[in-house]
Amino acid sequence: MKYEKPSIGVYVCHCGMNISPKVDVENVVAFAETLDHVTVARDYKFMCSSPGQEFIIKDIREKGLNRIIVASCSPRMHEQTFRKACEQAGINPHYFQMANIREQISWVTKDSAEATAKARDQVAAAVARAVYHAPLTSREIKVKKSVVVIGGGIAGIQAALTAAEAGYEVHIVEREPSIGGHMAKFDKTFPTLDCAACIMTPKMVEVAQHKNITLHTYSEVDSVEGFVGNFKVCIRHNPRYVDASKCTGCGICTTKCPSKVLSEFDQRLTHRKTVYSPFPQAIPNTPVIDRDHCIYFTKGKCRACKKFCEAGAIDFNQQEEVIEIAAGSIIVATGFKAFDPTPLSQYGYGRYPEVYTSLEFERLNNATGPTAGKLLMKNGKPPEKVAIIHCVGSRDSRYHPYCSRVCCMYSMKFAHLVREKTGAEVWEFYIDIRSPGKLYEEFYNRIQEEGVHMIRGRVAEVTDIPETKKDEGRLTVVAENTLTRRVLRVPVDMVLLGVGLEPADGSDAVGRMLGVQRDADGWFNELHAKLAPVKTAMNGIFLAGCCQGPKDIPDTVAQASAAAGEAVSLLAKGTVRTLAEISYIDPDLCSGCKTCIEVCPYTAISFDESRRVAVVNEALCKGCGSCAAACPSSAAGIRHFTDRQIMEEMEAILL
Amino acid sequence: MSDFEPKIIAMVCNWCTYTAADLAGTSRLTYPSNIRIVRLMCTGMIDAKYILKAFLDGADGVFIGGCHPGDCHYINGNLKAVKRITGVGKLLEQFGFDPARLKLQWIGASEGPEFQRHMTEFVAAIQAMGPNPARDCMIL
Amino acid sequence: MHPFVIIKTDGHLSNAVAGFLKKLLTEQIADAVLAAAPTPYSLLPMPTLFTAPDLIEKADPLAPAAPFNSARQAISVLKHDTGKRIALVLRPCEIRALIELAKLKQCSLDNTLLIGIECLGRMENSVYLESASQNPGLTQAFYEDPDLQKHICSSCAICTRFQPVHADISLCLVGMPANECIGLSAETEAGLSVLKQLGFETSEAPARREDQIHRLLDERKASKAALLSENKDKTDSIEKFQRYFADCLNCHNCRVACPVCYCRECVFLTDVFAHDPEVLLRRASKKGMVKLPADTTMFHMTRMAHIAHACVACGHCSSVCPSHIPVADVFIRVAEEIQKLYDYEPGRDLSEAIPLLVFDENTGNEGI
Ligand SMILES: Cc1cc2nc3c(=O)[nH]c(=O)nc-3n(C[C@H](O)[C@H](O)[C@H](O)COP(=O)(O)OP(=O)(O)OC[C@H]3O[C@@H](n4cnc5c(N)ncnc54)[C@H](O)[C@@H]3O)c2cc1C
Ligand code: SF4
Ligand code: SF4
Ligand code: SF4
Ligand code: SF4
Ligand code: FES
Repeated sequence: MKYEKPSIGVYVCHCGMNISPKVDVENVVAFAETLDHVTVARDYKFMCSSPGQEFIIKDIREKGLNRIIVASCSPRMHEQTFRKACEQAGINPHYFQMANIREQISWVTKDSAEATAKARDQVAAAVARAVYHAPLTSREIKVKKSVVVIGGGIAGIQAALTAAEAGYEVHIVEREPSIGGHMAKFDKTFPTLDCAACIMTPKMVEVAQHKNITLHTYSEVDSVEGFVGNFKVCIRHNPRYVDASKCTGCGICTTKCPSKVLSEFDQRLTHRKTVYSPFPQAIPNTPVIDRDHCIYFTKGKCRACKKFCEAGAIDFNQQEEVIEIAAGSIIVATGFKAFDPTPLSQYGYGRYPEVYTSLEFERLNNATGPTAGKLLMKNGKPPEKVAIIHCVGSRDSRYHPYCSRVCCMYSMKFAHLVREKTGAEVWEFYIDIRSPGKLYEEFYNRIQEEGVHMIRGRVAEVTDIPETKKDEGRLTVVAENTLTRRVLRVPVDMVLLGVGLEPADGSDAVGRMLGVQRDADGWFNELHAKLAPVKTAMNGIFLAGCCQGPKDIPDTVAQASAAAGEAVSLLAKGTVRTLAEISYIDPDLCSGCKTCIEVCPYTAISFDESRRVAVVNEALCKGCGSCAAACPSSAAGIRHFTDRQIMEEMEAILL
Repeated sequence: MSDFEPKIIAMVCNWCTYTAADLAGTSRLTYPSNIRIVRLMCTGMIDAKYILKAFLDGADGVFIGGCHPGDCHYINGNLKAVKRITGVGKLLEQFGFDPARLKLQWIGASEGPEFQRHMTEFVAAIQAMGPNPARDCMIL
Repeated sequence: MHPFVIIKTDGHLSNAVAGFLKKLLTEQIADAVLAAAPTPYSLLPMPTLFTAPDLIEKADPLAPAAPFNSARQAISVLKHDTGKRIALVLRPCEIRALIELAKLKQCSLDNTLLIGIECLGRMENSVYLESASQNPGLTQAFYEDPDLQKHICSSCAICTRFQPVHADISLCLVGMPANECIGLSAETEAGLSVLKQLGFETSEAPARREDQIHRLLDERKASKAALLSENKDKTDSIEKFQRYFADCLNCHNCRVACPVCYCRECVFLTDVFAHDPEVLLRRASKKGMVKLPADTTMFHMTRMAHIAHACVACGHCSSVCPSHIPVADVFIRVAEEIQKLYDYEPGRDLSEAIPLLVFDENTGNEGI
């Protein structure tokens, strides 16, 4: 590859006290001056500051430098900063190279002399590779002005509405028959205790009516191909067996259906019909037939729904359908799933009928739930004493080490609701109260004022063996109050488990399909914990809501708006730039063996039959280098990571 | 051989192990200074040449760090690397290099402490092996 | 047992073979035949593409010489489908190489008839030229006289894959007295239909063949083990390796001769290794001096890393080396290890994927 005769500037950063004195910066500078092609070497307190960048710009302009090395922090922090400075000074940004002497040297090395020696090596390596840097450019590609949102919980809804309002075409893909997610199951929401349905339903209706939004419920994403600005998303519509274009939503089919199964939406506390809408405010209100339980599908007769449906919407022959959407960006909003407390057998969930998970409680407490919102035990009587256990499955090394962030708050919401509805005595067992949020601490205070017993201590056991005869038939909660060091045995009628949050089922598949990584706990990884909390490492794919980590509704909505904002800002620009650091195939070297085509994970290489050589599609290539390493002819290489650059880098370290 | 200070090339992928190395830094986890990191975009781009070059130029050890299987930023670059790297190890073994001088390890982006541990252990292992024989006898 | 045809030679082995090849053209089984033949100007047999039946009498594919591995020449006529059917007479190592090249999309074997020679070895060019100039009937003599067979090159002497794999028809020589007869074995349906078309009566192979094949195989295995272990002693450290290749001129003859080094341009001849003077000076300053050309060890090791899985053990790299370095010995030794590691055998099966192209989706989490 052709390159200009190098004239290199080396800038070594003190990073305040972070690099020097551990690394002897002056020594490194003096060493850098001796390296081939180095014209200037300097040090400065903070290279990333404006004066630091000015240095570089001035030297480039005055001394005609055409390669810049900054030895400072990780390129993950400031590579972009310095590349921009180079560009501003009029040289190609890829003439820049960073040597990481902070994260990977000064902060991790005990001995100062060793740190300095290592810094010299890494600077020499950077200089040696930079000699072979090429002036790389990228291309501009038009983007499709549409967004696909995966998941129709509050996060997906908020993101979709924001993007749709900005004038972009939005597709929501929700695998359940209705959008709404978890929030649709709640009655009241902390800390303001406003009615969930009252704030949720209008948003759901707005989604249904918005001219820019297309809903794909009972649907899943089958495959995603392409790249930022030009994704090709295949959406599979599972058959509802009810023709949405004919259905009026009258519900007669549900009424007439003779078959009942446990309702997933009601946490299996009650029944639903086999042809059903999960809840009364479902959007869309077109029911679905649960094929696995339908008498017609399983036994071949019945068809009651079809007989009574005047609109003629029942269609037992409906087939699944896969449609392809061209999307400029994708928002992932797949939410969470509640922890199943069965493995924590000491809490007796599944064994004692009066032990409930928090989601079950949400349904019990809901006006549209199994008890029409009355807080009743299975025997039909209201409880007199209720225990609420925090951190079930959270902050527990055997299950999830992390804090699920919402359980303290919803547990206290439950305490309030129990007191309000039944006047029962409430005992909360917590490890620490986590109430950081606007009006949250106030809510905590309010609960205490309402006379809730707050006990600090992890519950050891829930048992049906009473301490005294009078408590027979009740449950006893055994815990140590860690503040008083006393073991308590509290007889109660009902136990509520504050179960934690975990990633939604199937998020591994979603991650793989999109190429978005997940952390050790399974939550999707944002690009940067602080500075890019809704972006992912995959350009054009954004995160919203609990799929990125447990959070409450206000944070979910804020993040969803942010994700939509990012998506829209990308689309508004109209074009995206291709990556510069991608594969190139030298047609003079390529022997046409097609090895690269077989290894490319993004089908970014095609074969030119007339010249019998492989050709890279620059818009698809992500620069992984699989082709380069596999190409036996060394015809394929990655720009900015060429054989020569990498081998020079190593040689400078070793020789 | 306790005063032998090896030089070790660590070829690590940008997305996982390089990030873990940064994390070790931000968490101030110290480890021996013998490691020289070469940042690559993915272990899948590691050409056999790079490993040979490192050893022939006198590296006492070559550490290759990438994402855990399933986590590769480019889907499966790491899996493709496994065979190639095993093959180069076998090749080097034929010429008297201890295959343990070449190590492939998956270290995820969040595993700063793991990075520290592997660096410490690998340096100790190489120290016990002594210098790369190519250091002295190699005429380039 | 494959259907077997016995052809009388009447003391003229080469004529019998040429006669068979001629029929392929006259009976229009093949549009062209690629087979080795001496040129009017030298006794050394060169791969020759015949279309005229009367000229093919000059072909002498059994002559115990092969100036190079003809797979390379074969792909030049098989690069893409021409609509013509081509018959190729090749040695087993040449077929193996051809299969590897086909996997790398360097040729298409769709419209070919592969005729494999049961190979008793080739002589180095100089040895052959000298013997042939003294003995005009060398080909015949070679197959009749076991003493002459001792003059084959060192790679052939350790070759255990002397029987063609993947051929349609094998030319069988082991256990077939050359002055009397030669065998044709149909290895594939296509091969059988050709033999039938030519009106041959098929029978069973003579019983003694099995025995003699085994005996030869055992001999070869023993020589191979001995040579490889001797080679190991000479190359099992980086210091010894450099001694081994000390006289290498970096002429790249070995890689040009290698049939599976199929790159259009070797990476060592590209920019990647065209070092700037600064780099060479830096290298020199390390120990005060540096040998040029640079990267000799790197070149040989990289070549091994690239093709050890595919090395067909033909030995041509040794044959062409101006410094008489036994290049093939070390390649064959390393190739054995690598092929064992990948459970891969070059040329075994066209549908067997090149090892680096398949990876294990279930790779564990522990690294290596
Ligand atoms: C018991 C309980 C009580 C709570 N109470 C409160 C409260 O009072 N106040 C408050 O602020 N927060 C509360 N929270 C937290 C609140 O539930 C979450 O903040 C909120 O639901 C997150 O919304 P989301 O859209 O990210 O996820 P979800 O609500 O989980 O929505 C995700 C949606 O994506 C769909 N989906 C998942 N995977 C796929 C896929 N592969 N393809 C298509 N669709 C998919 C799901 O079906 C679902 O509809 C509570 C949580 C719990 C468990
Ligand atoms: S670098 Fe090569 S293998 Fe990777 S995406 Fe680009 S073309 Fe495909
Ligand atoms: S692997 Fe290399 S030689 Fe083969 S087709 Fe791709 S670029 Fe060409
Ligand atoms: S390396 Fe040598 S022996 Fe092996 S295939 Fe190539 S030329 Fe033949
Ligand atoms: S043929 Fe011999 S001299 Fe030429 S490059 Fe090969 S080993 Fe070296
Ligand atoms: S990106 Fe880390 S191994 Fe592929």
